[in-house]
Amino acid sequence: MAIRRTTRKRLRAGLVYATLVAVTALTCFPLAWAALTSIRPNEEMLKTGLIPEHVTAAHYRALLAGRSMYFEAGGAYRPSTAPAQHFLAWFANSVVVSVATTVLSVGVSTLAAYSLTRFRFPGQSLVPYVSLLGYMVPSIIYVFPLFLLIVPLGLADRLPSLVLGYVSITLPFCMWLMWAFLKSVPIEVEEAGLIDGASRFQVFRLIVLPLALPGIIATSIFSFIVAWNDYLIARIFINTITQLPLTVGVMHFFEGVHVDWGLMMAAAVLMTLPLAVLFMFVQRHLIVGFGAGAVKG
Amino acid sequence: MKRRDFLKTTATGAAVLGAPRLARAQGKTGTARVWGEPGPYGGVGVDAMNEWAQKNAPGLKFAIETLSWTDVYPKLMTDLAAGRPAACISVESPIAFQLMAEGLLEPVDDLVDRIGRTRLISGAKWEYWGAWKGKQYVIPAHHQSHLLVVRTDLLRDAGVTKSPAEWNWNDLLAAAKAIKAKTRQFGLCIALGRTIATDYYVISLLHSAGGRMFDAANKSQVVFDSPAAVETFEFIAELVPTMPPGAVGYTFLDVVDSMAKGQSGMVFYWGRVFGRAAEVDPNVFKTMEAYQHAAHPKTGKRLNWNDFQGWAIPKDNNPYVAEVKQALVHLMTSRDWQIRYAQSLVPNVSPVFQDVAQDPRLTQHPFFQTKRRTIFEYYVEALKHASNSGNELLQGISPLAGIVHGRAIIAQGIQQVVIDKKSPAEAVKWVHAQLEAVRREHIRLVV
Amino acid sequence: MIGRHAGLSDRQLGVLFLLPFVAVACAFIIYPAAESVRLAFYSKLPFRPALTFAGLDNFRYIFEDPVFWAAARQAVLWTAASIVLQTLFGVAIALLLNEAVRGINVFRGLLLFPYMVPTVVIALIWRWMFNPEMGVVNASLKGAGLIQRDIYWLSDPAWAMASTIMLNVWKFTPFVVICVLARLQAIPLELAEAAQVDGAGAWPRFLHITLPQLKAVLVVVIVFRTVWTFNKFEEIYLLTRGGPGTSTFNLAVYAFEQATANLKLGAAAATGVVMLAFLFAGSVLYLRLLRQEEA
Repeated sequence: MAIRRTTRKRLRAGLVYATLVAVTALTCFPLAWAALTSIRPNEEMLKTGLIPEHVTAAHYRALLAGRSMYFEAGGAYRPSTAPAQHFLAWFANSVVVSVATTVLSVGVSTLAAYSLTRFRFPGQSLVPYVSLLGYMVPSIIYVFPLFLLIVPLGLADRLPSLVLGYVSITLPFCMWLMWAFLKSVPIEVEEAGLIDGASRFQVFRLIVLPLALPGIIATSIFSFIVAWNDYLIARIFINTITQLPLTVGVMHFFEGVHVDWGLMMAAAVLMTLPLAVLFMFVQRHLIVGFGAGAVKG
Repeated sequence: MKRRDFLKTTATGAAVLGAPRLARAQGKTGTARVWGEPGPYGGVGVDAMNEWAQKNAPGLKFAIETLSWTDVYPKLMTDLAAGRPAACISVESPIAFQLMAEGLLEPVDDLVDRIGRTRLISGAKWEYWGAWKGKQYVIPAHHQSHLLVVRTDLLRDAGVTKSPAEWNWNDLLAAAKAIKAKTRQFGLCIALGRTIATDYYVISLLHSAGGRMFDAANKSQVVFDSPAAVETFEFIAELVPTMPPGAVGYTFLDVVDSMAKGQSGMVFYWGRVFGRAAEVDPNVFKTMEAYQHAAHPKTGKRLNWNDFQGWAIPKDNNPYVAEVKQALVHLMTSRDWQIRYAQSLVPNVSPVFQDVAQDPRLTQHPFFQTKRRTIFEYYVEALKHASNSGNELLQGISPLAGIVHGRAIIAQGIQQVVIDKKSPAEAVKWVHAQLEAVRREHIRLVV
Repeated sequence: MIGRHAGLSDRQLGVLFLLPFVAVACAFIIYPAAESVRLAFYSKLPFRPALTFAGLDNFRYIFEDPVFWAAARQAVLWTAASIVLQTLFGVAIALLLNEAVRGINVFRGLLLFPYMVPTVVIALIWRWMFNPEMGVVNASLKGAGLIQRDIYWLSDPAWAMASTIMLNVWKFTPFVVICVLARLQAIPLELAEAAQVDGAGAWPRFLHITLPQLKAVLVVVIVFRTVWTFNKFEEIYLLTRGGPGTSTFNLAVYAFEQATANLKLGAAAATGVVMLAFLFAGSVLYLRLLRQEEA
């Protein structure tokens, strides 16, 4: 009986592993294929063997140093506009905008959520629900009017316009998530602190913030992903090639004369890398944090 | 210009006008944004403008903003609606006509003589690039036509002996079928996706068949629904089986790739397809030649779509009008810059001035060794068969009647035939109704 | 209490903390959305400043446009198919990942990661993999003898729709997994063990014990995902631009095209209002379900 159970257990574990491996292989294949393409020489582009016969870093070098998209010959004058040369600038823009968006969304929504869960005033219970409703509004609806608002503010074609645009996407949900978290932080601890003579700011900093940390991490990840992934807003708001974030910049590779797939996949890999690093650190919190609410993608 | 003269490319071109007296600008600084289409030439133009700025307007910088073909309209809409136009736009004539009719562009008549009214290459007129009610609004940058590009080796393998220069529509169709049947390649590839590329292809065929979109004589009434349009749609439907099955989703780039990678025996395309092929597959490049389009059997017309790309200056909220004008004069009167501009994408960017076309330095590009005949077709011959939707406007159509450029209405009509299997007559009626709706929307403004 | 220090009452402080949120929400969410709703009743050509009242003309225009209805139908199809597949795969993968086997964290990481991958990146990879002539998908299928001829994944209407659905399912199934997994981990182990002792098989155990526990979270996830999938723009636009023809349009792409290609801001705004109506219905449903659960 005991032996049968162990065998069954082993069999079951084997089955679970086999299924897991199959599902994971299928899921990860697109990313793996992109990575493999990015190190495949152009001459081998049409071959579909899993592993490239030769490995090259040419596509990555081209991303950083620029590669002409047009046939150049005969000592033709070379203008200063090959899009690949801007990859680093796009990368920096994406980092700046995503970090700024994250800081702003988390800051504003934490303050608001704290206010809603700790103070009493009319309309207090309604705000989070209205806010969540706001999160369901498709961005296609407000992106054009928002642009018309950005221009008189003097922000058009500048990175701060993107931060504003992204915050308008993230804020309602961040606020909902923080509200859900802070609601579950027991108020008694804070009251004890206050009675002990700590100021509200001390209480907020020393007691509330540590307890709300999983929520803050979840909202941060969420804001970062939204900002890093957006295409629509940046496409409408930004024109200058050096001011673009990665998403819109990389789509410029589809213009010109041909599609440079090696370059494209190298860009795809480098664009995904920061998220992979981030993901490794926060994976644990992701399930806890997002489990509290539900997240838009 | 005579073919013989061109092939010799004599050095005795018209003298460039002396260095123009450039009035010093009033010390305006900042960044003047310039919109260009994808391609290296916009960047060359801006580099020239910056050369002017360095000497004459320290602190002013011109910056290129490359708009993809699908971005032109979104950008026009958002940026013009928001009152922040670029300081200068490199734009093809159908869009230029629309903008000038809306009163959005600055007239540039004062520049024409400084640049050289008589310098234009023969067969071209200033108004092709954009004139409205007697005023010039656009400075010619280059002209670019799509032509019939063929693989001579595949034509031979398919047993086609008649020269493409002699073809009519029936010959084209027969050749496409023969290539498809006898070689392993597709016969013809054109873009049939829901993009402006498709509109370009269809409109040039429609014009060859004698059809029009609007009636110049009668208040710009829509006259699309005609036997010529039905015939055009039917012709394309007949060609479709010889094309790559993906063509219904294709836009510009896919057509280039189809030819350069050796998948299709013929394409309708602008000159840049040659550069791409030279890069990807020298064997394909070697056998490629461009011809004027096949003639319509009855009208005998072999029209292409010529973009007539020029520089235009938005009028409102543009602090740099004076500076752009000066910089444009510099770009257009400098033979060096004109040659660099044309050299940047051979033979896509055809020079607009006689003296530039005849400058021996132009021939330094290696394509002049192997593709001289083809280059001549693009640079000179194509002008004789140039058409585009701006072409209808030149005959008196108000752009406000329904510039439909960018809306891909005609492309959608074609797709109804190819994808939804509607009859060509039905699809033509649908397109007609769409054009009529656009016209109705603007009718108040049509005088 | 802090009022003692800063000279503010608790209520004032509460309002002060809330102020940045309210200000940003009003200026950058509510105002533009309201502006868009207003535009739905006006005729506006982007090149001209004039704004003329058009009553219901914009709505009449879109309702008479067969492409609008096609876009609406396709949006429903794309949403329904995506949601059904995401939910099925999501629950199945969550159950797998809930197994206490060694190394499960690695699998968890790999299976959840697609959710983080930018849409642009996925669209690029899809366009590369599903390229009819050069793509690995057709080559593999041919190699395995499953197909004879190339499938035109992105230029055949049915396949293009299937491709956009696949992209959506690939990216967002992890979201369902995250939510379901969070719930699964909260299910008391005793429940399942009790059932096992009773001799219930795996399927009945799932059906009668696990599924009822998941019901609440699934309802929320499905409602949320339905609204968001319905509103998606980039997933479709970056992959097919709504093509071939208009066969993968949804309402968001339709609105974008009306605004940018047709220059009809009013019609785009009217489409937006129709989408808002859908969203409103979804939200009411959501709130009702939420209340039911709380009761």
